[in-house]
Amino acid sequence: MKILILGAGAVGGYWGARLHQAGIDVTFLLREKRAETVRKNGLVVKSPKTGDAVLPVKVVTKATDGGPYDVVILACKGYDLQSAMDSIAAAVGANTTIVPMLNGHMHFAALDARFGQDKVAGGLARISGMLGPNGEILHSGATGVSFGERDGSPARAALVELDRACKKAGIDGGLNPNINQDLWDKWVMLGAIASMCAAMRGTVGDIMESDDGAAIMGEILEECCKVAAAEGYPPSDKVAGSLRAGLTQKGSKSVASILGDIEKGGAVEAKSIVGDMLARARKFGVAAPNLRFAYAHLQTYEARRARNGLKGN
Amino acid sequence: MKILILGAGAIGGYVGGRLHQSGADVTFLVRPARQQAIQRDGLVIKSTKGDVTQKVKTVLKANEGGPYDIVLLTPKAYDLESAIEAIVPAVGLNTTVVPLLNGMRHLDVLDATFGKDKVVGGLARVGVAMSPEGTILHTSPFAAISFGERDEREPRASLKELDAAVKKSGIDGGLHKNIVQDLWDKWIMLCSLAATNCLMRGSSGDILEADEGRAIVMETVDECQKTAAAAGCDPGEKGMQTIRGFLTVKGSRFTASMLHDLEKGAMVEADHIVGDMIARAKKAGISTPNLRMAYAHLQVYLARRARAG
Repeated sequence: MKILILGAGAVGGYWGARLHQAGIDVTFLLREKRAETVRKNGLVVKSPKTGDAVLPVKVVTKATDGGPYDVVILACKGYDLQSAMDSIAAAVGANTTIVPMLNGHMHFAALDARFGQDKVAGGLARISGMLGPNGEILHSGATGVSFGERDGSPARAALVELDRACKKAGIDGGLNPNINQDLWDKWVMLGAIASMCAAMRGTVGDIMESDDGAAIMGEILEECCKVAAAEGYPPSDKVAGSLRAGLTQKGSKSVASILGDIEKGGAVEAKSIVGDMLARARKFGVAAPNLRFAYAHLQTYEARRARNGLKGN
Repeated sequence: MKILILGAGAIGGYVGGRLHQSGADVTFLVRPARQQAIQRDGLVIKSTKGDVTQKVKTVLKANEGGPYDIVLLTPKAYDLESAIEAIVPAVGLNTTVVPLLNGMRHLDVLDATFGKDKVVGGLARVGVAMSPEGTILHTSPFAAISFGERDEREPRASLKELDAAVKKSGIDGGLHKNIVQDLWDKWIMLCSLAATNCLMRGSSGDILEADEGRAIVMETVDECQKTAAAAGCDPGEKGMQTIRGFLTVKGSRFTASMLHDLEKGAMVEADHIVGDMIARAKKAGISTPNLRMAYAHLQVYLARRARAG
């Protein structure tokens, strides 16, 4: 099985590095500059949990090179989806499966329209990390992935093989017969924590310091749960309970990465994580006053960023 | 008439400086470092209405240089306690305390300390800041203060005298017939502006770019108006139009000073401007979901600030 991974960021880079180490045939599709660095220095991974490594991975700069690929893994940000699709298009052949690892659900419509629903599996990552100043992957937490057929049918051979490869590489998770539920569970969590960390500009613990922080967090989680339920994927009581406990824990240092993006003036996945949740709430008549505040906050941020006004002007 | 001004910061320094310049008997109650600077450099004002450097009277203790007819108070709300402590010895039988603060809660605190009769209402509309060197930088075209009795009685003599002094100094405004309404008008405006600017972390113009930005601003204004109305101080349709108009200028780069404070990590008047509005709304049974969100944002900021030290 041949795997192509678009980009070598925190998620795709880490996952691909582990697969490579386990002897799986992985190729990274990179931009010229990144390709040059990786060819020269190798792919550098630093992980207190699973060890540091410098890996001579295979790199291409065009999707037509090195194929055909059985699996194309897409771990880009929501706002980069369009250019990501352009980049991988040439690598997607008759027998290729695309495994997108994006948050939310908006990307499925775009991917299905471009490549056909049959080619697009569901997937998500629970890998925490970031890129260091020299492009090294700084892995800091979980090492899980989850993927599967979106219609619940038996998994195609490529996904079964990818599952085997993940297990060999020591990656948690893998093939999930109910990937849609998993996608919604993650989105519910992310919708709440990203909304709150952004709109309140603090960690979960900071938010709990305010009089109404726990109440507002509970409400926004409820808003997301109701949307998921309206979509047919309510989180189980167990999942909802543990989300609520985690998101209202006093002193918690948990924080959504969107806050880091905001604080460095970067682009944010406002629409795919919060805006689309709010749009679905409206569609189903679910009241979502807190998501509305959060989305307005993010849109205000984007407007200010667009006019170069983040530095106080 | 003798006027004591607590501090020689941005607003107090500007107002006191102009009063002094036009011949009023003004004394500044300041800390030693500020006294030294003023004795050395004079009180320096750079202003759209003309620059001036002048020698002014300063004291380090409120029991010096009195008795005073007027004590003018312009601290940030979170410094009110220490401001009161500082002026206590200056407040005699015939002294009137004129606080120029936003919001309302300080009036309860001042009443409790000095007695209701000694405290009048007042507020400042002066776009002014102080440089690190202590120069008072008045960059805006407006400079007005407003003060008056908080009930319908005839203004006391010292307020009439202060009015005359203010008019002579070129500062706009002066004695106001319904200062309590004026306080509410400004509070509604400021609370709506600060709450939305801070919650959204952007100027009014930025907020209007969000799909629901305008609606959220209007709802916030509404929450404040209802709270004012419950206190018997509805600004009326004309007053509200002014406030709404000001907050919904497309492309406006105008921001509440609270947002600047937030972005430079400074202390903010969260409790005084937003928290107290919510408390009054709650008492009157008015729901304030927007203010609640903004207040939570400010409290999170303060928690983070405290954590960072």
